[in-house]
Formats: sequence, structure tokens, C-alpha cells
Amino acid sequence: MNHKLPDTFQALEKFVDDWALATQNERQRRRAACTPDELLKFYNAMLPRLEKALSYLNGLKLGSLPDPARRLLYLTLSFAEVAMFAECYEGKPQVPNSFEETRFVAVGGDRVG
Amino acid sequence: MASAVFDLNRRWSSQDFPELGAAPVPTEPCISTEYFELEKNRVFQRVWLYVGREEEIKKPGDYIVRDLPAMNTSLIIVRGSDGVVRSFHNICSHRGNKLAWDKCGSCRSFSCKFHSWTYDLKGALIGVPDEKMFADFRRSEHGLVPVAAQTWEGFIFVNADPKPAQTLGEYLGDLGRRLAGFPYAEMTATYAYETELKCNWKVALDAFSEAYHVNTVHGRSYPETFTGKNNKQCHLPEVRLYGPHRSAVIYGNPNHQPSPAAAVAYLFGESVTKRTSNLDELPPQVNPTRSPEFAFDLNVIFPNLILHILPGTWFTHQFWPISVDRTLWEGRAYWRPAKNAGERFAQEFNNCVLRNAWLEDTGTMEATQQALSSQVKTHFVLQEQEVLIRHSYKVLEDYVQFYHRSPPSKAHRKVR
Repeated sequence: MNHKLPDTFQALEKFVDDWALATQNERQRRRAACTPDELLKFYNAMLPRLEKALSYLNGLKLGSLPDPARRLLYLTLSFAEVAMFAECYEGKPQVPNSFEETRFVAVGGDRVG
Repeated sequence: MASAVFDLNRRWSSQDFPELGAAPVPTEPCISTEYFELEKNRVFQRVWLYVGREEEIKKPGDYIVRDLPAMNTSLIIVRGSDGVVRSFHNICSHRGNKLAWDKCGSCRSFSCKFHSWTYDLKGALIGVPDEKMFADFRRSEHGLVPVAAQTWEGFIFVNADPKPAQTLGEYLGDLGRRLAGFPYAEMTATYAYETELKCNWKVALDAFSEAYHVNTVHGRSYPETFTGKNNKQCHLPEVRLYGPHRSAVIYGNPNHQPSPAAAVAYLFGESVTKRTSNLDELPPQVNPTRSPEFAFDLNVIFPNLILHILPGTWFTHQFWPISVDRTLWEGRAYWRPAKNAGERFAQEFNNCVLRNAWLEDTGTMEATQQALSSQVKTHFVLQEQEVLIRHSYKVLEDYVQFYHRSPPSKAHRKVR
């Protein structure tokens, strides 16, 4: 059976379609478009598995991850994207009292990885 | 006592820099188009300006293009076959077309897309189609117009003045010495944002030049990260002025408790808010006592570059004037290339942490500009800890006045 994620991380499978995104721009757009409920569900599912996931990935070569491991990496990077919104802004997907985010251009935001 | 070396309640303006004055500072330089023209002519076309890192043009033929309204020009910055970094006005000598159009690239020569005049990497004209139809024509008189380019610690600076009054080393002076020796070139993994702000460049620069705003602007994003029991208002432990440049140190809260995500990021890599990293990576003059409270060094290289260094990373802000109320802002952070997924995660986490802080910082600027342009208020009221801003306006005014007495040379506008 083909799994989307490495075996010990099956509990995160349901987040793969929405959050295993290859570029910063995609992750940022996904976060900006989600509801607080979605954001917190993803954050809460990832947090207890994050250290284990990164330790697992550190055992592999970053530049040539097999697909399931690569998806897991992308989930951790999406977690990096949402973390502050869960921890500091109660799950709201925008930074309160801030500049218009869509006008901030990420140079290299379309880089894969 | 943890802060024995530095006095966190120092009244910087009145105790240390009384020559900068104590009066409110006029807002006119931020809204006057006349003043803006003076800044362009007497500052931005006179001093050394940072335009890029040597790593961006590693190989011979690698080039970057910077369109710089503040210098009234577009520049090509290119590494020659001899390894030397040179800069030229990005203008074909034939009929003035823009020569290089991409933001960066690599080539053996530059060829104009209008009539195919071609220049080598040293700016010499090497190809002219149908050359015999030009009367009394000597290629040597029609090379690209050079602009002074010099490097410091891998930072490339240019100077539009055809005869710069100082070398880059002299210009950076003691601030250059303070910041030399940091492993900038090892940290090449770049995370960058940019935007055009509808405000004067100084409104943007000022907002990043003090720590008084930290509690209010960053209260949600950085709870008790920099402020804490022993430093409730993010007072500066150190402020130094270096000619036109300036420097301050920001301390962190020694009792800072990282968020759950930050705690994991700290385990796997460097972080801007982690203070257990290798302090000896800092140059000797930065955090000389190796205080564990050191968070980062804030340096303003006159006129428009902020350079922050801290163990494991460095980041910059640059503010490019477009018009009196429009500014290109660029924020960039640099890390050692991630060797594994954990380091990559830590960098991505930090990228988001910095981005969110910068979204908060830039959030005030456009409204400030609108308010200033109403002229309902005509002065900024500055406190002792906002001394870098006071210095900024003083230096700017000194430049504008100095060159008022010595008008800029027009030599670089002559045909060569």
C-alpha cells in the first residue's frame, strides 16, 4: 500500500492535501485563506509530532528526500508558517494591526523546498 | 546584577549626545519635495550606497541590475574576467537605451537590444554594426560610464560621485571596523521580502531605528522576548555614533520562555530570539563583554542601510527613495545553508517570525506619512532612547547644508 507519509506519521495523512505544499508562497497563501479552526487543528496535530518528524528527517539527506519524507518536510514548513498565528493571534490567519500582507513580495517565494 | 556593565536607564540624548539637541525635530524633511531633491543631489548622489553582496555575482560575467531613482539612474554591477567588481550606468552610449533589462544574469558581454552595440565586462565598446557609417568615430570614446564600486566584507557599495571624497573604507570608518570579521559570507541562505511603501524613506528608516515601539507594535508577536522584569521598556544598553553612521545594542529578556514552536526551532537550528548560540562568532567590539543578554546589534550605515548582526544570522533593511512619499523597502535575512531538515525548519520558522514583525513595523508607516502631509503636526517629539533618529536628521541636515556650500560636480554628466 502506498502511503503519503512515512509509516510512523500516518496520523498526519489527512493534512497532506491541504498543507504539504512545496513553496513558501503556497504555504503563506494557504494560511492566509484558512479559518482559525482549520489553522488550530493543523497546529495541534503537528506540534506533538514535530520534534519526532524533524529527528526522522534529519536521518535522511535533505537534497534527495523520498516523496513521503518530502511531504512530511513540507508539513513541518507549513507548521512553521502557521505557528505564530496559533500561538500569538488565537488562530486568526492575519497579523493584527499590520501592513497589507499581499503587498509584501517574498523574493524567492516560489522556490521549491 | 546581570546588567552591571551597561546602564539600562541611561538618558542617551542628554547625557551622551547633547550636541544633537533636545528640541522636537521638524517633519518637513519627510514631506517636502524640495528637501527630497536636495537629499538626492547632496546625499544619494554623493555617498557610498550598498547595492548587493559579492556572493550574488560569484563568477566572471555574473551581474546584477539595480534601478535607483535616488541616484537618477539604473546601474549594472558586474564581475569582470579579472575577478574585479565594477559598476556602470546601465545606458547604451549610442542613443541612451537601457542596456541590461534582467534583474540579474550572467554574460560575456552586454549587447544593446536597440542596435546591438556591444560592451565587454570592463565597459569597453567592442562591437558596432555598420561602424563605418559613423563619421570620425572612435570606440574608445564611447564605453559605458563607470560608477565607483568598492567592497567591504563582501558588501558591494557604489558611489555616483565621479570623484568620491572618501574611499569606502574611510567612509565606513570605525563602524566598518566594529562590524568587520563577522562570517557574513558563510551565511548565504537568503530569505527576503520587499514592497513599495507609500511613505518617505525616513519614516520607514526611523521606525526600525528605535526599540521604544517593541512593547506596543510587537507586544503580541514577541511577548516578553526583549522586554522583561529588568528592562520593561526595551532600553538600549549601548549607543555609539560613528560619523554619519550609528549603532545600538538590543538586549533580550534573560527569562524569556520560548513558545512551543520556538522551543522546537531552538533544538534544531539557529534563531533570532535564541540566545544560547556562539557569542564568540561576534566581532570583538560587538557585545565585548559577551553578555548572554545580547539579542542583536542594530547598525545604520548612512544613509539607507540597517545591518543587524547576531550569532548565527544577520539581516538588513534597506530604504530606497522613489519620491518624497514612495520608498522601496527590502528586508533580507541570511543563514548558513541548511544541512538538514531540522535547520531548514528553523530557518522557515524564523522567516515567518521576522516577516510578521516586519508586517507590524511597516503597518504604521503609510498612515504616518498621510498624517505628516496634513501638517497638523509639524514636529516629531523624541525621547532619550530615540537618539538614533535624532542623529539621523542631524546628519542629513549637515550633508544638505555642507553641499549647499560646495555644489555637486557635473563632470559625470559630460560625454566621455
